[in-house]
Amino acid sequence: MGSLFRSETMCLAQLFLQSGTAYECLSALGEKGLVQFRDLNQNVSSFQRKFVGEVKRCEELERILAYLVQEINRANIPLPEGETSPLAPPLKQVLEMQEQLQKLEVELREVTKNKEKLRKNLLELIEYTHMLRVTKTFVKRNVEFEPTYEEFPPLESDSLLDCSCMQRLGAKLGFVSGLINQGKVEAFEKMLWRVCKGYTIVTYAELDEPLEDPETGQVIKWYVFLISFWGEQIGHKVKKICDCYHCHVYPYPNTAEERREIQEGLNTRIQDLYTVLHKTEDYLRQVLCKAAESVYSRVIQVKKMKAIYHMLNMCSFDVTNKCLIAEVWCPQAELHELRRALEEGSRESGATIPSFMNTIPTKETPPTLIRTNKFTEGFQNIVDAYGVGSYREVNPALFTIITFPFLFAVMFGDLGHGFVMFLFALLLVLNEDHPRLSQSQEIIRMFFNGRYILLLMGLFSVYTGLIYNDCFSKSVNLFGSGWNVSAMYSSSHSAAEQKKMVLWNDSVVRHNRVLQLDPSVPGVFRGPYPLGIDPIWNLATNRLTFLNSFKMKMSVILGIIHMTFGVILGIFNHLHFRKKFNIYLVSVPELLFMLCMFGYLIFMIVYKWLVYSAETSRVAPSILIEFINMFLFPASETSGLYTGQEHVQRLLLVITALSVPVLFLGKPLFLWWLHNGRSCFGVSRSGYTLVRKDSEEEVSLLGRQDIEEGNNQMEDGRREVTCEEFNFGEILMTQVIHSIEYCLGCISNTASYLRLWALSLAHAQLSDVLWAMLMRVGLRVDTIYGVFLLLPVMALFAVLTIFILLIMEGLSAFLHAIRLHWVEFQNKFYIGAGTKFVPFSFRLLSSKFTDNVA
Amino acid sequence: MLESAELYFNADHGYLEGLVRGFKAGLLTQQDYINLVQCETLEDLKIHLQTTDYGNFLANQPNPLTASIIDTEMRKKLCREFEYFRNHSLEPLSTFLTYMKCSYMIDNVILLMNGALQKKSVKEILVKCHPLGRFTEMEAVNIAETPSDLFHAILVETPLAPFFQDCMSENTLDELNIEILRNKLYKSYIEAFYKFCKNHGDVTAEIMCPILEFEADRRAFIITLNSFGTELSKEDRETLYPTCGKLYPEGLRLLAQAEDFEQMKSVADHYGVYKPLFEAIGDGSGGKTLEDVFYEREVQMNVLAFNRQFHYGVFYAYTKLKEQEMRNVVWIAECISQRHRTKINSYIPIL
Repeated sequence: MGSLFRSETMCLAQLFLQSGTAYECLSALGEKGLVQFRDLNQNVSSFQRKFVGEVKRCEELERILAYLVQEINRANIPLPEGETSPLAPPLKQVLEMQEQLQKLEVELREVTKNKEKLRKNLLELIEYTHMLRVTKTFVKRNVEFEPTYEEFPPLESDSLLDCSCMQRLGAKLGFVSGLINQGKVEAFEKMLWRVCKGYTIVTYAELDEPLEDPETGQVIKWYVFLISFWGEQIGHKVKKICDCYHCHVYPYPNTAEERREIQEGLNTRIQDLYTVLHKTEDYLRQVLCKAAESVYSRVIQVKKMKAIYHMLNMCSFDVTNKCLIAEVWCPQAELHELRRALEEGSRESGATIPSFMNTIPTKETPPTLIRTNKFTEGFQNIVDAYGVGSYREVNPALFTIITFPFLFAVMFGDLGHGFVMFLFALLLVLNEDHPRLSQSQEIIRMFFNGRYILLLMGLFSVYTGLIYNDCFSKSVNLFGSGWNVSAMYSSSHSAAEQKKMVLWNDSVVRHNRVLQLDPSVPGVFRGPYPLGIDPIWNLATNRLTFLNSFKMKMSVILGIIHMTFGVILGIFNHLHFRKKFNIYLVSVPELLFMLCMFGYLIFMIVYKWLVYSAETSRVAPSILIEFINMFLFPASETSGLYTGQEHVQRLLLVITALSVPVLFLGKPLFLWWLHNGRSCFGVSRSGYTLVRKDSEEEVSLLGRQDIEEGNNQMEDGRREVTCEEFNFGEILMTQVIHSIEYCLGCISNTASYLRLWALSLAHAQLSDVLWAMLMRVGLRVDTIYGVFLLLPVMALFAVLTIFILLIMEGLSAFLHAIRLHWVEFQNKFYIGAGTKFVPFSFRLLSSKFTDNVA
Repeated sequence: MLESAELYFNADHGYLEGLVRGFKAGLLTQQDYINLVQCETLEDLKIHLQTTDYGNFLANQPNPLTASIIDTEMRKKLCREFEYFRNHSLEPLSTFLTYMKCSYMIDNVILLMNGALQKKSVKEILVKCHPLGRFTEMEAVNIAETPSDLFHAILVETPLAPFFQDCMSENTLDELNIEILRNKLYKSYIEAFYKFCKNHGDVTAEIMCPILEFEADRRAFIITLNSFGTELSKEDRETLYPTCGKLYPEGLRLLAQAEDFEQMKSVADHYGVYKPLFEAIGDGSGGKTLEDVFYEREVQMNVLAFNRQFHYGVFYAYTKLKEQEMRNVVWIAECISQRHRTKINSYIPIL
């Protein structure tokens, strides 16, 4: 498999697919996911392409399948999702499949339509019975409330006193009754009033049970109404208004007897309908169950088919129209796989002439393919988020695997927090096959995808936590401190020694709040702690001063090493792209500039650590002053770190100063010289001088290009050969900008690495504060109450630790680590202007129903 | 309006403005039109529309496709967008959007009354109604016999009610009266809308007033043109002109006296805005019609409305542009389905 250091070598291949076998070949290629197709018909609009009819057919099939899935879901039939993904259907089967599906659709639509009709019918009957039941009470009530009728001017009130009188007036009196949607009642009544000017009586009552709306299928509340009116004219208007408000109007029985008859008739019809509906539903269910078995594989098959035709649309036809020509990017290492896939496809379709391929040289930049596994994927994603690497350039992801968790840990250094993070990541890693994790929500998914990064971050944090000797802000005393307090007492020393040194006695210990240990007293400091910071510092009041100095120097050292490494990686890039002159004219001056200034700073730091001991520490010069003096040439001589320091510093400064003009002008001048040289000597003299003038690589590169150009002209004329025009001004500008950026960057980036110190300080302080505010309070209370108090305090401590220290602080450290990689590290060598290799692979198709339905 | 209106604009309407600007970016481009014109069948048209913001809005339509199906589906899409705006809007934007709806409501009411006059069933007409102007009481319109009946019984509670003050009469509704009713309604509607925008002030007034002025003048011209050779008297004609345009008052009085197209043109010649429009009209066959010229001018104004921020005009402009786009697509679809390719290019390009 390909390495992570560089992207794989790609080649452009031309596939000659016999038109009969193209489909099968692409199916085989899609299963393997080897190649990326290039669109050869870019200026042809989508509906004018060759296989648009087939794509349309696929869409039709998809539509039918979507309908099937929708119906199956509505019937609550479980959809089995197959484990294996079926191959794309052979062309012969497609027609059969289409017919089958269409037949199924027609059948299904008919059955559903019938069912809907029956349902609607049933619903109407039910509504009618409800209406009859409710309106029965209206009439009774109307009789009870006489005054309602007195309001009607044309009729005498006494004639309406009872039910029988109403029947006598039946010729004039009309009734409209029905059901109306709850929300429309008010508007309905108002309009009735306005239109009929009060010549109607509306009585309505809410229906106690909600019914389904036959049009929308929603279950809503209904009102039953009864309108009594006089006169034909008004009757028409009332009916129109009822139509307008989509009321369901049912005939109103005039006599009680009629009402009873209708009711009985309705009841039997409802019974009948129920049985018929039941049978229809049973049948529908059977049909759907049968369809559900195959629907998953059908959906996948159609998707694959559609994908194949989309790819075929990217191919062009050759002159004879007999075969399709496709251009694909393929990794060099997998060319034989590609050949085999083509053979397989040809064999399967039983074609007489096999499809074949040949590679064609090209000057276009191929896409970038870096193979990853589940471990490296996360780190590659961090790099790709900045920019996909240019073709064949050094891939920083390889180094990110170690440097990223390490820089994170430098900021996050805490044994306890790191261990918790490690455990969480370990849990994710061990359960990575669990289906619920890979299909979970966005945030959890984010953690899941970065589980290996988290794991390494946790591990490295444990390590840096050990170095800082921090565990939930407390130090761990593993090996016993290297400091001995008792040696400070005057009684443990001889009288002669006591005179020379400041020692403790009883009065000093009793009266001073703060005592100072002096490492120069023999026996007090017994050598460094074996691993990391001595735990005694946890008790010291000047702990912060000590740690700050240590962490600041550490972050500068780490930063400069990291950046220098970046510049060195640039050399690998120049070597690979055969631009040796870049090494001498860009990388080496860059390295010199960086090392002569900041490398020397590191040297001074380390030198001071090694040379000065506790006894001589009082005379040790300040590094800061020394470093500033290096640039200022002070008149007054200070005692330097070592003899001859001044000369060394002058030399370094000269080297630094000299590397700047080389950096600015070297590359443009060299290119200019190269360009001019080629143009004057190339014409008049033979190639021999050329070889002598230019580096050998340059010539061999030129030669190869010439050959390629020749090939190109022969093989296909339409490929444009972009000949780069030499533009001195442009090159100079680019180089000057790059140089300025680099020189200023050396200073600002070094300062930027101080965030390592700042964040680790913030983290340590925050966890310290949390401990002091919570646990110390909890622990101070005496035993009996303390037990009850400690439990909630512990819980709160745990919650705050997780949310503030682990998640919040972790996030900020993560972001800063990312920044250090993207900005400070990668801008030293990484271009990141490539395009990702996206193979034509069926695996990238989603195998979900949901996409399909939406 | 207070000076602080712009301060709060984004808090109240920022989301919708962003949305409408996004929608505007999804309008068909010149390239899209070029591709659409090349289509051989409506299926091709559908495939091409799939690559635009319309997406697969025709996916669930059974074959064969017709231009009217495309039209209805596009209208539905616009209606969905508009309803979304309206449901998420705050005052005074929601009033503004209601005003926009009113013009479609007037059209629907008139359509239904015409249908009732020709004894067509309500259901048949309802399909033709613009979904933007749909309201519940609409279907009962055919109960009314006179305009005042219509007002008192049916429309009194709809947003259309205030526009009825000028047209309360007891005339029976025949074809001419319905047309007069429509124009009177429209006149008071456009004047009310104009007043609303003017009172609102700010950028909204600066953008919307010219657009509405143009709309009013366009109606005046069209009314004049359509009234040639009808029994409408000149005095009656003058009462139909909206009075918020640039033509008011002299231009309208002159227009009322015009008797043929040439006289109308000479009226327009007095106005710098309309002179070039009338000059752009081609004579007889092949050239642009007055309607096309007006549409082009409208598109131009609407596109310019997007150049300023913090105003409601973008909603109006977007809806109008989308309408124009729909007219264009339907035109192209009709040309394709009737194999009448010579005129396919006379759609109104949206800049």
